[in-house]
Amino acid sequence: MAARPPLDTAPKVSLREVSRARAIRRFRLTILVPLIALFVLVLMPVLFLQLYFSFHQWSIYLGSWWDADYVGLNLFTEVLTDPRFGWAILRSLAFATGSTIGCFVIGFALAYLMHKPFRGQALYYVVFILPMLTVPIVVAYTAEMLLYQSGPVNDLISRILGVEFKPAWLTDPNVALPAVTLLEIWNWTPFSFIIMLAGLSAIPKEPIEAAEILGASKWRIFWEVQLPLLRPVIFLALVLRFLEAMAEFPKTWALFQGGPGTATETLPVYIFLTTWQYFEVSKGAAMSYIVMMLMIVIVLLAIQLLRREKRSLDAMYGKAAREAGGEP
Amino acid sequence: MTKSRRRRISTVVRYAVLSVWAVIAFFPIYWMIATSFKIDTQWFAWPPVYIPNPPTLANYRNVWLGAEEYTSTQYAISSQTPLVSLKNSVIISFTATFLAVFFGAIIAYGASRYRLLSEARMFQLLMLRMIPPIVVVAPLSLYYSAIGLLDTLFGLILIYFITSLPYAVWMTKSFIDEVPREVEQAAEILGASRWRTVFEVVLPLIRSGLVATFLFILILTWSEYLLALILSKTNVTTLPIELSKYQGTTEGRVYGRQAALAVGITVPLMIIGLVIRKHLARGFSFGMVRR
Amino acid sequence: MARIELHNLRKTYGSVVAVKDINLTIEDGEFVVLVGPSGCGKTTTLRMIAGFEDPTAGEIRIDGRVVNDLEPRDRGLGMVFQSHALFPHKTVAQNIEFGLRMKKVPAPERQARVRAVAEMVRITHLLDKMPGQCSGGESQRVALARTLVTNPSTFLLDEPLSSLDAKLRRELRAECDRLHEELKRTFIYVTHDQEEAMTLADRIVVMRQGEIEQIGSPLDIYSRPASYFVADFFGSPSMNLVAGEVVHEDGGVRFRSKKLSVDLTARYAHVPPGKATLGIRPEHVGVGFDGTGANVLPARLIEPLGKDTLIYFDDGTERAFVAVTEGLGKAALKVGTPVSLAFDPRHIYLFGSDGRRIDPK
Repeated sequence: MAARPPLDTAPKVSLREVSRARAIRRFRLTILVPLIALFVLVLMPVLFLQLYFSFHQWSIYLGSWWDADYVGLNLFTEVLTDPRFGWAILRSLAFATGSTIGCFVIGFALAYLMHKPFRGQALYYVVFILPMLTVPIVVAYTAEMLLYQSGPVNDLISRILGVEFKPAWLTDPNVALPAVTLLEIWNWTPFSFIIMLAGLSAIPKEPIEAAEILGASKWRIFWEVQLPLLRPVIFLALVLRFLEAMAEFPKTWALFQGGPGTATETLPVYIFLTTWQYFEVSKGAAMSYIVMMLMIVIVLLAIQLLRREKRSLDAMYGKAAREAGGEP
Repeated sequence: MTKSRRRRISTVVRYAVLSVWAVIAFFPIYWMIATSFKIDTQWFAWPPVYIPNPPTLANYRNVWLGAEEYTSTQYAISSQTPLVSLKNSVIISFTATFLAVFFGAIIAYGASRYRLLSEARMFQLLMLRMIPPIVVVAPLSLYYSAIGLLDTLFGLILIYFITSLPYAVWMTKSFIDEVPREVEQAAEILGASRWRTVFEVVLPLIRSGLVATFLFILILTWSEYLLALILSKTNVTTLPIELSKYQGTTEGRVYGRQAALAVGITVPLMIIGLVIRKHLARGFSFGMVRR
Repeated sequence: MARIELHNLRKTYGSVVAVKDINLTIEDGEFVVLVGPSGCGKTTTLRMIAGFEDPTAGEIRIDGRVVNDLEPRDRGLGMVFQSHALFPHKTVAQNIEFGLRMKKVPAPERQARVRAVAEMVRITHLLDKMPGQCSGGESQRVALARTLVTNPSTFLLDEPLSSLDAKLRRELRAECDRLHEELKRTFIYVTHDQEEAMTLADRIVVMRQGEIEQIGSPLDIYSRPASYFVADFFGSPSMNLVAGEVVHEDGGVRFRSKKLSVDLTARYAHVPPGKATLGIRPEHVGVGFDGTGANVLPARLIEPLGKDTLIYFDDGTERAFVAVTEGLGKAALKVGTPVSLAFDPRHIYLFGSDGRRIDPK
């Protein structure tokens, strides 16, 4: 090997880098590549099928799906001109927005009341997280036991108010969507609560004390110090909750199956109905395709923002961890 | 107003507000538990019966053991007993969760220490979780049926594994990020190989974090509904699906039975959740929020 | 104007007593340093004065008025925290301005005052930066400015320099001193660093396990420590403290330890025999090389510090016995050389078995 360079111009680092790169490549081959292959094997055919059905009119009654007729963009036109689809989008947005705001406001308020230690704090914490540890489908059926017209919820509210209070939660089309939104809020307020509580606890107490001694009231401290410092956490709590709410299916489905009428027909429910009740697989696929694109846009947007906020989060928690470690 | 007085008032307000919400949060759970101990005439009596009297275990015996105790106009349970569903649920959720945490931890280690996945890739991984499953479930079921995975344990394990992986990677990565590099470097200086360092130093250090991740993902897989509903038919019913069968019974609403089943599904989950309560925020926020 | 009085101030956390019924009066314009090891209750005391902790019992008075029941913002105090406690999302100028805004000072006046105070602590160039872009020393200056601008009657400083390196610490210590001179306000300063306490304080309050061990001027504390604890805490290198006993023999009084024997007749003739601890500062230990005298020990370690040289001996106790000689003249001394140690009777301290200092005659 005459071409070997002299030793002093080939620093050891490069050798190590080579071995490191080799190790990483090996790791990729043994772990990452098989996993990606698996994903591709599952996800690619699925996406392909979805695309196929979006352009071919097929229903379960029509024999083999591979013989289905090519219909071009007909299905998309059908979906986009279907008022039910538009309503489903609106309902989903209303449901997701309403429940996200509800969860956030209640969760934040509870977290704010609980972020300083007090007697009984641990017990409240335990009780508050229970709803999120209840299987969604169980939530639905329990809600049914609670909400029928002469059920315990109406009974209790009537007793407390002292007047007859009997909304037909489960059968009145005007009340059904709010009912399922309230249910979602009940179910997932714990999520906002624990995230905001963690956020509030991570704010170091010194800036707050400094503000206090500089003459700021609790209210000013909240707006000027705590809230700005919590921005990334708030953002995270809102975005993740909104995305989850957009996908909510078990409760809405089990309680209402889209009804009464179409009152609770959110996007997931409408897609489900189209595909599995009306067996219009192709229409369902086209609808799914549109929703998927819509969600991808939303998710990409959310991810873009999350990436920005994650830096502040890491700084926040990194610092908190360092300080906790450095305390004597 | 003096400081101590103001403080007393704010304490009272705090306890009042928290207690009101505590009642709201707990009442439905209480109602589910109470109903599971009620005899059938109290299931939806008017006025509602708040405390089961006399309490009975008949619902549990009927649902879980198939005992046919008719107190009045009763029906017999559907074809499959919940014990089979329980077995399926346990197999599917434990296997999928184990796989997700195992591979998740290894990938997370690579991502944390060797930048195997760029930040952008890490976020792309999240998309697996953020796109609603409803939009792919129909073609997925056709695909599954074509390759013979429909209505099989493996089929559900596979899809649960895939959808849990983002949580597993992100959550374990947040734990690994907290292990100081010096600890690993110390091990390396002492002559440990890279894999040895991982298995003898890093993973044991985040042991409690791995347990938390495992239990957290178990909660998600255990309660999953939509995928199980579509991808299983009769062979591999899981507990949430078992529960929903009660809805369609022609014999009317059987709240007591349903509640007995619901309690059985939920209580283990609540226990798990309470065990890892300190890590729930980290789990649900993909490790971005820690405590 | 601010005279601060603490009356039987007590703070307990559960069964732990953090501050034990302390009494202290801080005069207007005084610079008082609370000093002691961590966990001695000094920070808790400061935080009670500030209003962040409620006393379990006792009273805090500012200018004669009981303030126990006032919120921190109503006490007219300023505080500087160990961790700067700057608002990370506000610029330096906004940080400094914050207190003025809370006091509803009109905007033009705010600007002027922020500028003035920034000049005072020399941070004008930082005004538009974020706290994250400032170094540790700069951050602490900003924190100082933020407190200064509100013109409080009293400054509370909670270990403000302990997160800085030695050089910056000296620099900012001088700054604190200068500010106190200029402002003529009351300063209450908490630290665990005895050197900081000695250089800054008009009066030092030494705390230990929730109690005040001694109050006095730096000179007092240094030359007349009330107890073994205080003697040990102040001075660098710290005082030699040798456990042994006082014996009466041959009509005189002597102190004897394992390897040392010191004549105490001159000033401590009144001390009864029994266990005691002898104290002498390293700079007061006479060093000779003729190998004569009652106390000859081999040198164990020579530590040239530049200005001085430290010589360590093994006196048979756990702690090394240290002597200081000026300059580097003795730096070449060989380990093992026998050294005669002389104890100047004027500088000998004696501590009883209860840890209190025994007064000389």
